[in-house]
Amino acid sequence: MPSVSIRARLIFLSVLLLAILALSSALLIRELASVSKSLAEEATLVSVVKNANSASKHFGDLKYWVMDAAVTQLAPSERAADAAKAGLDSDLKAISAVDPALVAAIGDEVYAMTDLARQAGVAYSSDDSASGNALLEQAKSHVLTIDGEIDRIVDRVEQQAVARRDASMRGAELAVKLAIVGGVGALLLALGLTALTVRSITAPLKRLEGSIASITQGDLDAPVPTTGGHEMAAMAKTLGMLRDSLIERGRLERERERAQAEIRAARDAAEAALHELKAAQANLIQAEKMASLGQLTAGIAHEIKNPLNFINNFASLSTGLLDELKSVVAPAVGSLDRHQRGQLDEVSELLSGNLERIAEHGKRADNIVKSMLAHSRGGGGDRQNVDLNALVEESLNLAYHGARAQDSNFNITLDRQYGVDILPVELVPQDITRVFLNLFGNGFYAATERRRSANDGTFTPVLTVTTRDLGETVEVRVRDNGAGIPDDIRDKLFQPFFTTKPTGVGTGLGLSISYEIVTKQHGGTIGIASEVGRYTEFVVTLPHRFSAKGAAETSAAGGGR
Amino acid sequence: MTVSILIVDDEPDVATLFRQQFRREAREGAYVLHFALSAAEALERLAGEIEPRLIVILSDINMPGMDGLSLLREIKKRRPDLPVMMLTAYGDEERRRRANEYGAADFVTKPVDFDFLKERLRQLHAPST
Repeated sequence: MPSVSIRARLIFLSVLLLAILALSSALLIRELASVSKSLAEEATLVSVVKNANSASKHFGDLKYWVMDAAVTQLAPSERAADAAKAGLDSDLKAISAVDPALVAAIGDEVYAMTDLARQAGVAYSSDDSASGNALLEQAKSHVLTIDGEIDRIVDRVEQQAVARRDASMRGAELAVKLAIVGGVGALLLALGLTALTVRSITAPLKRLEGSIASITQGDLDAPVPTTGGHEMAAMAKTLGMLRDSLIERGRLERERERAQAEIRAARDAAEAALHELKAAQANLIQAEKMASLGQLTAGIAHEIKNPLNFINNFASLSTGLLDELKSVVAPAVGSLDRHQRGQLDEVSELLSGNLERIAEHGKRADNIVKSMLAHSRGGGGDRQNVDLNALVEESLNLAYHGARAQDSNFNITLDRQYGVDILPVELVPQDITRVFLNLFGNGFYAATERRRSANDGTFTPVLTVTTRDLGETVEVRVRDNGAGIPDDIRDKLFQPFFTTKPTGVGTGLGLSISYEIVTKQHGGTIGIASEVGRYTEFVVTLPHRFSAKGAAETSAAGGGR
Repeated sequence: MTVSILIVDDEPDVATLFRQQFRREAREGAYVLHFALSAAEALERLAGEIEPRLIVILSDINMPGMDGLSLLREIKKRRPDLPVMMLTAYGDEERRRRANEYGAADFVTKPVDFDFLKERLRQLHAPST
């Protein structure tokens, strides 16, 4: 009955149980009725037995009193006889149903006996004792017959009563047995039906419950039972929908997570791109700043160059003119007194000294202007495939010996960390040499300055030069163990005229020119890492091959040498 | 024999400088110095008569209006034989190349080394005398 609803099943079960109850009750009622009927019959028989016995007694009384009355002729005896006769008649009437023929025969015999006894009495009263005796004898023979018949009927009635009682007891026993069997049977049937019905409900419920438990524990692959009654089917359907919605929710959740992951990845990528963009922008701004500063520098240099040329030309001209003046006035000097001559000599000395200083400082200014003009020079040199390590080593030696030539006390430990298997680099050797000379010179200066300021001889200045091939590019690191560069001036390092050296020692143009050479002319990068009190490291990267931009600049510069 | 030199430069002090530098030569009657403050003025002077004979033009390159290199081309159109020396503060390759291409006799960077210049002038003067 899988497709029958639980309600229908329960109603069906109730109807069945009621029917079983009714059937077993009807059976019991029927049995009880039959038992009570046989009990009633038994009671009737008992009263019949009583009447039969009473008839026997009344007949005893009657035969006595009849005989007595016949002999004595006394009225009381006659009355006693009549009373006994009435009792006997009543008893006989009561038991006549048992054997009407026999009872009628007894009645006839009683009548004959009483009639003979009355005739005997008449004979006795007429003193005919002989007839009386004969008649009495006749009556006595009737009495014997009647006694026998009454005994017979009493026996029969008693037999009937016993038989009836036995039948009643058997019926009652059967009824008890039937009631027990029927009751137990009905109970078993009812239990069986109830169990069946309950099982038909609980089994699918249990399966459903298992599914619910599995699903609530997260096992969404658990099967949802498809069998069961209407309610079960409905519940299973609901559960199935719940499971489907859970699966859908899980899917949506996973989709959402994937989407979030994608968004995160996209955001990270965007942030990275933004970061790169910012870095590129910063580089661009820096490059732009450098370019405009470079242009400005070159412009200033152009403007200053002409007046400076005049200064230098007129200074050297004036030196010649002063000599000429001296030779012109020489003959006249003799006519001057000692004091005037002394004054003249002093003034001419001062003048030639001043002219020398003008020439010297003009030359210095001219050097600065020439460096400034290097900004707009645009790389006139030829590009060649160069062994980087050889170029670095050559520059390092040049810088070292240059520094020693300037200061015989100069000393520094050189730590060469040259990479092996570095492929040739296409560059303008004299310009890149200039960059390295500048970086090495700065490193020497920083490291030895620190030793000078430490002033206890314990500090050892070290310059470490590292070269590496990075595939597309090569890298040169120039690291000194000097005082380091504070963050706040790091941005200004590549600006023209920025210098930390005392006036006259540095032009402030070395790094700005190096920047131009590395970035603009060679398409490389130049960066700086530093920790105050520990080190400064310049990192130059150069592409193995010139970029299109670099090549364009080369042709635009039109290096006809 | 006295000859003329025409110096073209927009800086008026160039005249002072050259006059002082060539004071002795002028006194000796070797050179007569002529000055033009622009390319246009130089071409104008060239169109007229310059006495005594003009043997060389010295021209600056960076000048307002027509620059020295354009002037060089103009002069070469009119007087292909007249030597023109370029004087410039900026001795870059590009200018040097163009000056050569346009037929400049020499390319001298400022500040002018007058000993060198005088030597070059003597060389230019010698063959024509």
